[in-house]
This record gives sequence, structure tokens and C-alpha cells, in this order.
Amino acid sequence: MKRHFREVSIAVALGLLLLFLAVAAPTFYQPQPLLSLLAREAPALVVACGIALVIIGREIDISVGSQFSVCSVCAGLLASMHWPPALVLTASIAVGALMGTVNGALVAGLRLPSIVVTLATMVTWREGLRWLRQGVWVDLPDGVQWFGLSQAAGQWTLILLALLVLVMMALAMKHLSAGRFVYAVGSDAEAARLAGVRPQLITFLTFVWMGALVGLAAMMNVTQSPQVDPNSGTGLELKVIAAAVVGGVAISGGRGNLWGVFVGLLLLACVSPALTHLHIEAYWEKAIQGAIILLAVVADGLRSRKEKR
Amino acid sequence: MPLPANNRQSGGWKAILFRHETVLLLVLALEWFYFNAVGPRFGSLDNMYDILRHSVEIGLLALVMTPIILTGGIDLSVGSLLGLCAILFGKLCRDAGLSPAMAGVCTLGIGALAGGLNATLITSLRLPPLIVTLGTYSLFRGLAEAITRGADTFTNFPASFLFWGQERWLGVPAQAPVFVAVAAGVWLLVHRTTFGRSFRAIGFSPEGARYAGLPVERRLALVYVLAGIVAALAAILYTARLGQARADAGTGYELYAITAVVLGGTSIFGGVGSVPGTLLGVAAVAVLHNGLVHARQPREVAGMLTGALLLLALAGSVVPKMLTARRVRRQTSPSNLQPTETA
Amino acid sequence: MVPRLSHRGQNSETGSLKNVAERPLVQLQHVSKSYGGVRALKDISFDLLPGEVHALLGENGAGKSTLIKIITGAHPPDDGVIEIAGHPVRHLTPAIARSLGIACIYQQPALFPDLTVAENIALRLEPAAAVRRVDWLARRASARQLLQRIGAEISPDAEVRSLSMPEQQLVEIACAVGAGARVVVMDEPTASLTQKEVQLLFGVVRELQLGGVGIIYISHRLEEIFAIANRVTVLRDGASVGSYPVGAVNEASLIRLMVGREVSTIYPPAEGAPGEVVLSLRGIGCTAADVSKVTLDVRAGEVVGLAGLVGAGRTEFARVLFGITPADTGEILMHGRSLSIRSPQEAIANGISYVPEDRRRHGVILDMTIAANMTMAIHRKLFPCTWLRFAAEHRLALDYIRDLDIRTEGAETPAGFLSGGNQQKVALARWLATRPKLLILDEPTQGVDVGAKAEIHKIIRRLAKEGVAVLMISSDLPEILGMSDRIAVMRSGTITTVLDGKSDAHDVMAAALGQAEKGRAS
Repeated sequence: MKRHFREVSIAVALGLLLLFLAVAAPTFYQPQPLLSLLAREAPALVVACGIALVIIGREIDISVGSQFSVCSVCAGLLASMHWPPALVLTASIAVGALMGTVNGALVAGLRLPSIVVTLATMVTWREGLRWLRQGVWVDLPDGVQWFGLSQAAGQWTLILLALLVLVMMALAMKHLSAGRFVYAVGSDAEAARLAGVRPQLITFLTFVWMGALVGLAAMMNVTQSPQVDPNSGTGLELKVIAAAVVGGVAISGGRGNLWGVFVGLLLLACVSPALTHLHIEAYWEKAIQGAIILLAVVADGLRSRKEKR
Repeated sequence: MPLPANNRQSGGWKAILFRHETVLLLVLALEWFYFNAVGPRFGSLDNMYDILRHSVEIGLLALVMTPIILTGGIDLSVGSLLGLCAILFGKLCRDAGLSPAMAGVCTLGIGALAGGLNATLITSLRLPPLIVTLGTYSLFRGLAEAITRGADTFTNFPASFLFWGQERWLGVPAQAPVFVAVAAGVWLLVHRTTFGRSFRAIGFSPEGARYAGLPVERRLALVYVLAGIVAALAAILYTARLGQARADAGTGYELYAITAVVLGGTSIFGGVGSVPGTLLGVAAVAVLHNGLVHARQPREVAGMLTGALLLLALAGSVVPKMLTARRVRRQTSPSNLQPTETA
Repeated sequence: MVPRLSHRGQNSETGSLKNVAERPLVQLQHVSKSYGGVRALKDISFDLLPGEVHALLGENGAGKSTLIKIITGAHPPDDGVIEIAGHPVRHLTPAIARSLGIACIYQQPALFPDLTVAENIALRLEPAAAVRRVDWLARRASARQLLQRIGAEISPDAEVRSLSMPEQQLVEIACAVGAGARVVVMDEPTASLTQKEVQLLFGVVRELQLGGVGIIYISHRLEEIFAIANRVTVLRDGASVGSYPVGAVNEASLIRLMVGREVSTIYPPAEGAPGEVVLSLRGIGCTAADVSKVTLDVRAGEVVGLAGLVGAGRTEFARVLFGITPADTGEILMHGRSLSIRSPQEAIANGISYVPEDRRRHGVILDMTIAANMTMAIHRKLFPCTWLRFAAEHRLALDYIRDLDIRTEGAETPAGFLSGGNQQKVALARWLATRPKLLILDEPTQGVDVGAKAEIHKIIRRLAKEGVAVLMISSDLPEILGMSDRIAVMRSGTITTVLDGKSDAHDVMAAALGQAEKGRAS
């Protein structure tokens, strides 16, 4: 059980938070708002799965927010040009994967630190998008929202889709050799190389996969409203990194699993309504997010310090 | 090739650094000629002062980022700290009724404390600077937004204060002497004191520095606290220049600062770098931004080009090393030693 | 293509040496190897028979690790023939050696700390196919099976990070067994094992023997060699002094073979008598560094040699004295005054300086100039108020360059451009500049050419004459014998004996091997 201490403790924290909400703010549990909340978080869950894999591989990607905005706008534009939804989805994923390829080539190919590379690409994509679109929202035609289904059906579809991605990735990371290679590379790239794995290829692919997932998540985002906000990705990178770090993914690589990330994301998602019901203004959310990242990292630091003794 | 005296401090790979700064000067010259040709008002003295004014805040951040990157670390929170310090300064002036001078001193103290938070987490718990400053990047900005409820801005500063950001002193913009003083201070610290030596040693080899008896944790703490103080100073000047303090002040400044530092020849891996290089890098970035405005290019192009420039600068610093390493590997590979046998 | 070695089970009845007509698993003939002018192996012939435990004995630097590197393909020999299963192999590489069934268990296992034992074993044994379903049940079962086979009580689900070093070694052995290794090299496998664990290991070794696996066993523990080995080869100064069946030798004769040589190098003689006690250690210990109950006195003007075998804890002890891993028990007295040394700064402030063993990582900073390196420990003294004085620094550097005869173009050359011997002199200069009361030297002439060696010895003598107390860690027995006024011998993290400087090699080696002790301390 010691191995899963982190996952268990945040699950307990989530449980307490949910309990608190049940007592102090029972309106939280009304079906429609709850469903909307979960549907809203579904794209973030998909992105969080991808970022967890990147971090386990001992890298980081802070450009996911910008990638998300770019893919959302692309998807929105194609949808407004009446492309069939399947094609729009493919295009969105392709655009994301392309941006991921750029990151991957620079990090794995040139061995540049991922923090600086993704800092640069984050700004480049964001400003490029703003330049091209000037902040204009994209109007979507009628059949796009909720896939043309009712709102509830659409929301359920998104939630299930996100859970499907979560489950599939969790299985792949546990039972597919390629998934285990990411853990190996993140734990000790040199030992991995000696064992016949190619660390650079693995790193490259995690970035490409990240981009593809962002493309999927962007599409999921687009189907939730009649318009596409070109700033929809702002702050996404911090949210998903926070979810991963809280969920037990170590920045030093090689450890962590998606269940913790899932619980971490839910925890962070519930913090905001909890704040509202505690009459703390929403403006504190970013600060709390930052504090949570720091607390999680400090906890990891203290634990590894104890282990060394 | 005789080396100029002040290059002695650069420690290793002087030839490359020398070359790097030449390239940067070339880039600067190119920018100059291009923008001069494209935008008529570009070359005027007024515009030069404008460039100077606008580049002071980023310049300050880049200056203080240089020793941090020299030690092999990074600080992503400086832009957010600028925003936080700006609104706290405004609040102290408006709500606490302090004079700008008093408020300024308090703000510098707050900056030191914030830098101290980074420093403590990084040095005592040996946490990676990357994730610590990513956390404080969010925390500081979040605090700024929370305190101002996202909407509050602080204005109505006395003219004596706004002088520092908007008026001239002895013919040059009033921020200039402040900037020059800080630049001189950082230059002295990095190039003329034992602190600078330690920073480089730590960047090249933290363990080697420890075995040489250098107080590694204390030196690291120093650079992060310094970053906090200078970010606070930048916040004050920013407020003076714009006449208002907002929670979103300094957004994105960390990218510009890091770009300027890397452009200036400081290696992202630590150990190699120079303050004059950073100043050139700041100039390159500032001239680029200003020139684009004069060339009637939209603001976003500046951001895009800065990002692309950072990537080019990084690639440019790494590729020569990779080629050299490949050459060295080939020269000393086992197959080049005597043949193994006969049988 | 070299054929695979014979399958397991073919020799299970006969086991080891009964079958004399057996083809050796590994055979080296007339193999030599030099590293940059230093002869590490001279005309070595060596062979390993199936089912045999062949021990390799020799003092530090005799050539054992070089021999192993050649067998595992890490380095190619300069001359000679390598035959695996009777077939000559040119251009042996680690990958080829692995595929031929040669496995090596090092003291530092190359495992993934964050992953489980089962996964570590699987990653090593499974081919690196990208898209394949991972069968955890099979992985854990095969890991459990392998661990059981070697008798290790380790759970396959344990995280490698949580395992002790001996347990990690056992995991490595399991990997080797699982890879169907025919030749297993064990490099000091019992260095940190308890009695019980040693017996466990011996059981594993015997199992391997029965399966026809040949084992090359490097150890300094003579009693173990007699317990487990069939033959023993003694190396000395890079040459083989002979291979003997274990029944034909005893401890005394082995020691004689290991050290018997003319001490041909002339060492500068000691001048004058040692002065007062500079450093006094009483029961110094540090649990994190595995150092315990060290008691020693060092006098001004005296050179105390610190002898011992690899793993005896000498460098760890030096690090305790220097404050890298501070002591948690015992007392340090300098000129009679009690000190607490909790960091290198405190050590330096108290007049203790340390020239580290790892020259490239700790001794100098390769990317910085010679001058910068030399002044790195004296910032407070040379640069008061932290202001750098380049002229003074340059002068100091030139002085030391001249004084220590450092071959370089100038004081501003990066230290990484110098040869090993000259780098060592730069490291020395750094610490000489601190004018220490006690100077600890850790392998001061390791990897240094003969000329520079003699120069460094002269420098050490001169230092002693000037009144510095010198503690010299060395694995070079002639150096210890030639330079030391007294010789402290370390074993298992503590000083077991202090001998007179005029002792002979035999006594020192015997003390280092613990021959004087009865039985093992566990």
C-alpha cells in the first residue's frame, strides 16, 4: 500500500471534499450542473493523460494550452465550412500531432531542454493564432454542438469518450511494451538505451502523441458550445500539470499512473465550486492551483529526502 | 588571437562566445538597417528613447535571469512576480496611504520574500527550479488576480513618481540611470566578483563546486532572491511608465527575458554566459519589437518572431557542440586503435 | 558467425573440472592493452572452463578490471586473441558479448530505480519490441522463478529503489541467469554482504556451476576464494603471475604472488622528524558513509599512508573528514581543540583540505581555466570583499605552474585541455594554495604518467617538510611503502592496524586482507 500512498491520499482528499460539498452545498449535486461540469472537464482529462505520459518520460510540455486553442479554432473553422465531423476530428488530431512533432523534433533531436522549447512554441502558436484570427470567435453551424444530439446525450458522450481515452491509455501504459518503455526512459535513459530501447525515439513519440490528444480534446471542446473561443486553451497547461503532479506523477520521471491523475483532476475541478460555496471568489483559483502544485512537489521532495536517509 | 582582458572571466569556450557576440551585433545591425529602411521614424532619437523605455523592464528581468541560468537553473515566475509587485505597490500607495518611496521600499522587500520562497524550495528541498518556478508562476499571478479581483487597477500616482517612467532626466529617459545602475551591478556581480565565479562553477558542475568548498546552496539562494528584488524594481518602473498598475502586468515577460539571455550567448545548460551578451540580446529583442511596430506589423508578429528567435538561438548553441562531439567521438573510437588480432 | 555456447544441461553431471578435454568457454591468449601509454595488461593468457569458478586476484591496479573489460567487450585489446567457445572473435563489443552469453555483475547495478524487480528483469531479458502486450502475470512469475532459482528472498513487486545494494546485485544475477549466460563475471560481489547473504550467493554460484556456467570471481576475500573457487589466477602489474588450482596454494603464497616485486622506484626520503599532533580522531563514525570507530593521529610533517582495498571505505572516510558527509559520532581534535566539521567550508576554514579521487568530476572543473580552478578554494583569502583580482590570480597561477611544472600553454587554458597528470597538479595547486594544516590526498597519482608521478611525490615530501600533516590514500602499494612514515590500514569502514612506514608489502597486504583477524566481522 505504501506504493500507492499518493493515490490513496488524494482519493481520500477528494472524498472529503465531496462530502464537504454534500453537506455545505448540496446544490452541487444537481444532475444537470454536475453533468455540465464533468463534460467541461472531459477535454482537460484527455490532455492530462497525455501530459502525464510526457512527464513520466522526464520531459514537460507547457505549449499544450496554445496547441489546444489552435486545434479548437482549426476544428471550428473546418466545421463552419461544413466538413463532415469525422474529417474535422481527423484534421484536428493531425494539426495537434504536427505541433507535437515540432516539439518532439527539437527536444529529442537536438536534445534541448523541453521547458524552454515548449515555452517558445507556446508563445509562437498563441501569437500566431492571435495574429491570424485577431481574437475573433468562430461561429459553428447547427449540427456541430453536442454532435447534433441533445445536450445531455452530448455531454454523456464526451464524458464517456474521455473515460475511454483514460482507460485505454492506462491499459497501454501498463500492458503495452511501448508504454513501459516510457517509464524506463523516464527512470534512467542510459539504462534504457543499454536494454535496447531508443530513448530519443520514445521521447519524440510522447510529444507527438501529446499533440494528437490535444487535437482530440480540442474537438471535444468545440462540440460544447455554438461558438469557439480562440482563448479556450489559456491556462490549460497549468491545470493539467497540476493535476498530474497532484496525482503522483513525479517531475523526475519514471513514476506515476493515470488513476492518480484522474483523481487529481477531479480534485482540482471540485475546488472551484467548493470555493464558490464557501463564498471565496473565483479569482483565487489560479493562486490555489499554484499553491497546490507547490504543495505536491514539496510533499514529493520531503518523501524522497526521507528515503535517502 | 590575443584575448581582450575582460574575456578572461568567461571561463572556457571563449572563442565561441566571442563569435557569438559578433553574430549578435550583426543581427542587431541587420535589424537596424531593415527597420530604418521600412519605417521612417525608426531611426530618430525619440524612438531610441522609446525603445529604451520599453525595454527597461524586460531588460531588468533578463539581467537578473542571467546569473540564474548561469547556475544551470531557471526562473519562470519573474513575469508573474512583476504583476504581483505592481499591484501591491499600487495598493500600498492607494489603500495604505504610503508615499511612493515608502511603498517602493516595501515592494522591494516583498520581491525579496517572493524570491526567498523560490530560493527555499529550490535549495533546502533540492527541488527542480523548473517545477518550483512553474508553481510560483501560477501562484504569484493568481495572488495578483485575487487581490485585485481581476478588475482593480491602481492609478492616480503623483507626478513626482510618474517622472521615473515618463519624463527625462538630463536629456535621457529617467529609467535609464536606474537600468544602467542595475546593469552595472549585475555585470560587476557576474564578471568581477567571486559570486560570479561560483555561479559559473555551479552551472558547469554542482558537485565539482561543492568539492571546491563553494557554498552552493547559499549562492543559489542569492540569485533567486535577487531575481525577486529586481522583479519588484521592474514592477515599480513599469507602473511609473504606464501610470497604472494592473494584475496582468508583465505577462509573458519571462519568455522575452529568457530569449534575450539565450540570444546573448548564455548557455541554457549553465556555466557559459555574459552580461554584455544579455544586454545585446535585450537590445535585439527590443529593437525587433519596436521596429515591427514601425513597420506596421501587428503586435503578434513580435511574439511569434521572439519564440522563433529563441528556438533558433537554442539550436544555434547546440548544433556546433553536437558536430564537435561527433568529430571527437570518431577520433577516439575504439576502431581507431590498433587492430585486435590475427588468429 | 560464432556459434552459441553449449546448452545448459549437457554437463550437469560432470559439473566442473572432471572433464579435462572440455573446450574453454573463454580463452585469452597473449592479450595486451595500454591506455594512453600506460600498460594495463601485458601478454596475458587466461582461460575459463565450463562449470568452473575461476578467481581473479591482484591488488588495485594490477589489471583485473581491464581484463574484465576486454572479456565483456567494453574495450578492445591492443594485441592477442579472444576465443569464445573455441572460436576466435574479432571486434568483440558489449552487444556481441551479451549475445554470446557473457554477463557481468558489477558493484553498481544498472537498474531502473522507479520500476519493480519484475519489470527490471523483464526489460533486460525481453527483446525491445515496440508493440507487444505486456503479460504482467508472466513477468512476475518468471521473475519469481528466477529469484527462487538463485534463492533470493526478494519480492518481484518490490521497487528497485527500495532494495539494498546486495539485493540489487541479486536482481542483476537473476537477469544474468535468465539471459542464459554461460560466463558470469562477478566483480567483488560480496563487498557489502552479510555472512548469510554470502552463503546465499555461494549457493547461487554452485547452482550455476552445475549448469555448466563458468564464473570469473574477483574478490579480495581470500577465505571466499578458498571456499568457492576451483582455480585462481594472480595478476601483478598487468601480467599474470600464474594460474593455480586452489588446492595448490595457501593464503601466504597468494599474498607473496600478489606483491612480490622489487620496489624499484626511488621515493624521496623523509627529512626531519614529525612534529606535534595536528589532527586527532577519536572514534569517528558516519552511518550514512559506512565509516565507524576511526581513531588516528596525524602529526605535522608526517605522511600517513592510508592503505586498503577497494571498498574498504577510505574515500568515504576522507569525505567525512572534509565535511561532505559529516560525522555523527566521535571527536575531531585539531591541535587539541575539538572541531565540528559539517561542510567543506568548515573543513577548509579549519585547515583541512582534500584532493579528491575523481579528478574529472570533483578535482577540477574541466570547463574553467587553470587559474580559476586554482583559486577556487581561496576566494576569501585572495579576493577579499569578493572583488576578483585577475592580475593577482594570474600571478598565483603562473607561480604554481612553474612550481609544480605543469605543462600548459598558459594559465587561461581550460583545465579540460590538460593531460591527467597535469590536471592532477592543478587540483593539487588548488589545495596547496589554501595552506592547509592537514592535506588529504586521495589517489594522487592514479592515471598519472611516471614522470608526473615522481614530481608529485617530490611535492608531497616538500609539503611534509614545511610542516603540513599529510594523509595519503593510495592503492599503489609501492607508493604507500615508499612515501609513508606510517601506514594506516582500513578495512570495512574502520582502521584496523597502523603499521610503521618501514613495513613490507606483505604485512600491508595481509592487514588489508584482514588476514590478521580471525573470521569475519559481520
